[in-house]
Amino acid sequence: MITKNFAYHAPADLHGVVTALSAASGTAVVLGGGTMLVPDMTHGKTVADVVVDLSRAGLSGITLDGGGGPHDGPVADDGVSDGRVADGRVADGRVADGRVADGGVVVVGATTTYAHVLSDPRSRTLAPLLRRVAGGVTGGPQIRNKGTIGGSACYANPSSEVPAALVALGARLRLASAGGTREVAAGDFFTGAFATARRPGEVLAAIALPAPTGPCPGYTKLKLNESSWPIATAACVPGPDGALRVALGAVAATPLLVTLDPPEAGVADPAWRAHVREVVDAALAEPWSDVLADGDYRRRVAPVVAVRAVADALQQAEGES
Amino acid sequence: MTVTTSGKAGVRAIGSPVRKADGPALLTGRGRFLDDYSLPGTRHAVVVRSELAHARIVDVDVRAAAASPGVVLVLTGEEAAAHAGPIPHFIEPAARGGRHADVRCLATGKVVYAGEPVAAVVAGTRREAEAAAALVRVEYERLPHVLDADAALEQDAPRLYEEWPDNVILHNHYGTGDVDAALAGADLVVSDTIRISRTTTAPIEPRGYLASWDDLDGTLTVYGSLQNPHQLRWMLATSLGLDETAIRVITARVGGSFGLKMQGHPEETLVCLLSKLTGAPVKWIEDRRECFMAGAREQVHRFTIGAMRDGRIVAVRDRIVANTGAVSAQAGWAMPNMSATTLASGYTVPNVRAELHVVVTNKPPLNAARGFGKDSAHFVMERMVDLVARGLGADPAEVRRKNFIPPDRFPYRTATGLNIDSGDYPGLLDKALRVLDYDALRLRQAELRAAGRHLGIGLAFELTPESADGPGSFVSGFDVTTVRMTMTGGVTVYTGVTSPGGGNDTGIAQIVSDELGVPLSWITVVQGDTERCPSGFGNFSGRSMVVGGGSAALAARDVRAKLAVVGARMLDVPVDEVKVADGRLRATGDGRSVPVPEVAAAVLTRAFAIANDVEPVLEATRAYKPGNIDHVPDERGRIQPYPTYSNCLHAAVVEVDPETGVTKLVDFVMAHDCGVIINPALVEGQAHGAIVMGLGAALSERLTYDADGRLTSDRFKTYLMPRAGDLPTIRLEHQVTPSPFTMYGNKGAGEAGVGGAQAAVANAVEDALAPFGVTVREVPLSPPAVLALIDEARTR
Repeated sequence: MITKNFAYHAPADLHGVVTALSAASGTAVVLGGGTMLVPDMTHGKTVADVVVDLSRAGLSGITLDGGGGPHDGPVADDGVSDGRVADGRVADGRVADGRVADGGVVVVGATTTYAHVLSDPRSRTLAPLLRRVAGGVTGGPQIRNKGTIGGSACYANPSSEVPAALVALGARLRLASAGGTREVAAGDFFTGAFATARRPGEVLAAIALPAPTGPCPGYTKLKLNESSWPIATAACVPGPDGALRVALGAVAATPLLVTLDPPEAGVADPAWRAHVREVVDAALAEPWSDVLADGDYRRRVAPVVAVRAVADALQQAEGES
Repeated sequence: MTVTTSGKAGVRAIGSPVRKADGPALLTGRGRFLDDYSLPGTRHAVVVRSELAHARIVDVDVRAAAASPGVVLVLTGEEAAAHAGPIPHFIEPAARGGRHADVRCLATGKVVYAGEPVAAVVAGTRREAEAAAALVRVEYERLPHVLDADAALEQDAPRLYEEWPDNVILHNHYGTGDVDAALAGADLVVSDTIRISRTTTAPIEPRGYLASWDDLDGTLTVYGSLQNPHQLRWMLATSLGLDETAIRVITARVGGSFGLKMQGHPEETLVCLLSKLTGAPVKWIEDRRECFMAGAREQVHRFTIGAMRDGRIVAVRDRIVANTGAVSAQAGWAMPNMSATTLASGYTVPNVRAELHVVVTNKPPLNAARGFGKDSAHFVMERMVDLVARGLGADPAEVRRKNFIPPDRFPYRTATGLNIDSGDYPGLLDKALRVLDYDALRLRQAELRAAGRHLGIGLAFELTPESADGPGSFVSGFDVTTVRMTMTGGVTVYTGVTSPGGGNDTGIAQIVSDELGVPLSWITVVQGDTERCPSGFGNFSGRSMVVGGGSAALAARDVRAKLAVVGARMLDVPVDEVKVADGRLRATGDGRSVPVPEVAAAVLTRAFAIANDVEPVLEATRAYKPGNIDHVPDERGRIQPYPTYSNCLHAAVVEVDPETGVTKLVDFVMAHDCGVIINPALVEGQAHGAIVMGLGAALSERLTYDADGRLTSDRFKTYLMPRAGDLPTIRLEHQVTPSPFTMYGNKGAGEAGVGGAQAAVANAVEDALAPFGVTVREVPLSPPAVLALIDEARTR
């Protein structure tokens, strides 16, 4: 039970959100879907003076921002925006023949739920990896209807799968505050276990993804059973040069990005598997350890999920050609 | 709790899969659970618990808490001890040759586990009580603690109870025969160790109590989510120093229990005391993290088994160390007893020797849990049988068949003294293997193995002694039911057994329907109220249909006999020429009939006319005592506390991923024999639940603690129960071997599955990984544990 009184705001737009955050005295927390924050407050792990609820701020939805422009759109790194994305939405873009023009940016509003990702047909073409991630979220309709992609990113639980998926996709996180909006690359956003580059007074407004140009990324998730948090995840995005960009999740405090050689002799090739083990092991300085699985186990299975994600990516690519 | 059941006319109710009487209420959210009860002026209690596993309490500072908004009372252990005595044990260890320790509702002097209640706060709302509880400051002097049972047996181990010479609450030997000689003469001798991790029962509804003390007439009314209202009344009378007759216990609908809600918990006495001290109704609802403290099992077995070349098992020796945690007044400490006495299960092993140490440690107490120790016996026995098969290069199915008690040798007295009533174990094996298509499956396994995939098949037999009776205790082998018919033919059944959610109320209504000859829809079953129901013993040990059903049948027959006398007069035929069915009393000769309500009205309103010389009471209270219980020790000192022995054979098919250690359940078959089935839907529901509980223990469930003894698996994301997606369709096959010792030939049902499923999965995983040569030595077989097994086999 939450034993301490707190001020509650549910602003009607992003401007109201950042205003409420900047005006907050004491500890302010941002409420997305609440699947983590509410239990943490109930258990006294998080004690807040101010709760700013995003549910009425209109930050939900998947849209395509134009195309042809730079991926990070009009917002400069760590800079202040021209205001175009301040509401977290941009004009819907073109989706022709199930394909997206190169260079477009897919904008996933911060409060887009897993259920939204699954029910919105545009996610098939605009955010196929997030769709796969959302489809594998257990906990029933309650969690899928309330839990958000943005919330999972901001909670930065090493054991959840959204952070690594965003890193794999080269996502940029749009952080709004009273001072303006800045973008942070996913690779820089996750700074530690349950820690991000989001500053006090900032709210995640949206996640910008480069519009997909190739086949669906490969994906693998390992859990101990259906109840379990992910123990190791891998998302594989084949690059245009044939190199394989693999983001490993849940194996370390923050997502781990490695680049693998393509398996010329197939994924069963022992030499290539040894290469994967070597690369992953070298990158995995300090494996994550928790009640469910220790670091040794995670180190052991990290290359296994990497191999499986690559195999999955190659299979997806084959399906497309 | 009061329920009414509906059913079809003209159909014999016993044996029908009648739907649960409370199904509609549950499905539409109208089931009334403990937290739904509210009395005017109810206050809310929160328990302050020890943060340390072992410490002397130096000081409890309640000033800040007492000054917190809404707080009515903050109670410390010292103050509680001035008003309430020790809680009497459900099963007194000293009466079983063990050691006694006083357990109070709040700790005094020292705490012996992290989570032990040290203080309580009562406030106007739960929120105020929680806020105040956080302000109670307890100063401790830390003492060395011990969490592992083997370590607790060491000479210099920290001592939980200073008056004891060691940390052993019970040490005993079981079994007969010359094990050493038999092992010396055996062709194959296998010794190994098995560790069974601590799990919990995790019912969907945690515990909860609402107590209301009436200061004017000095009476106490307690609503609770519990299993044993009459025993609790006695227990509260003892701990609170009240007359039993001043206490009324009312059992709310129970949202699952699995033994957890058998009485003996400190909060039972505590909540009543808080009501008495505040003069207001006080409610306490356990939160999920508190509920996770309750341990269900934790044992280490060091065993040796000997067999002859032909597969005959000649001897079993087992040294069991059970970690019962701190002492509780609940029955949990006694479970390992049954782990020893249930050896060697349903096999004709002439020489069995089990040595048991039940050890206290600074973990939270074990609480009674489905399986009640029998589960661990089967897990270990079935692992032993598989190791014999492996050692002999024999088929595990055939080694079991070779050693089963033959169907013509019942009743069969085992080496530990159990007198098994009846059974056809080879029949179960045949059924299970047929459903599995065993030979084809073995071929498929070989094909997959050649392709680098690891399919495994595991078998396990399980024997479930049920409906226990413990002489001189409240573990009673009989129960009592009242059947009462109103003037209009309505029937209310008041029974001493309770339903923890399994639906025995529906089964009892079915029995009364058949025995009384009235439709199910006329029958209401009342359970769990000490003021309304006859003195009985509630729910445990698969007893409810055996003794609740048996006593209901006897009482219904008495009422029917009276209806028959008066009804026969109304039809003007001899009394032996009428029968009662479907709510009518019928002449067997010409078929003329009269409605039962008219007969009932005649008994009760024409007592000086047609019902003259008939005692005008349409009500009977009867007790039912099944046969086969024998407390006179035999020449070897063995007693026989169980009337019935349900049995079943499990077959698990798994596929193991040797790269990740993940085990996927591919198929699960259970051939089950609980004698005559009163309601197959209820039996199957119980079996599914018990199997899944066993599958969880086998693969994923484990309570974990940090080095300081604090629980780290206190939510469903850290204590991993199976979900639907983890489970195959469970295929159940029934076999009916009637018990000669019960009313209908029925045997207890509801516990079978916990041990057998664990064993079948463990055997299947070992079988799947046979190419690596692994030996399973512990559960749960979580993916990291499975990889460790493969590593161990590789480096050997």
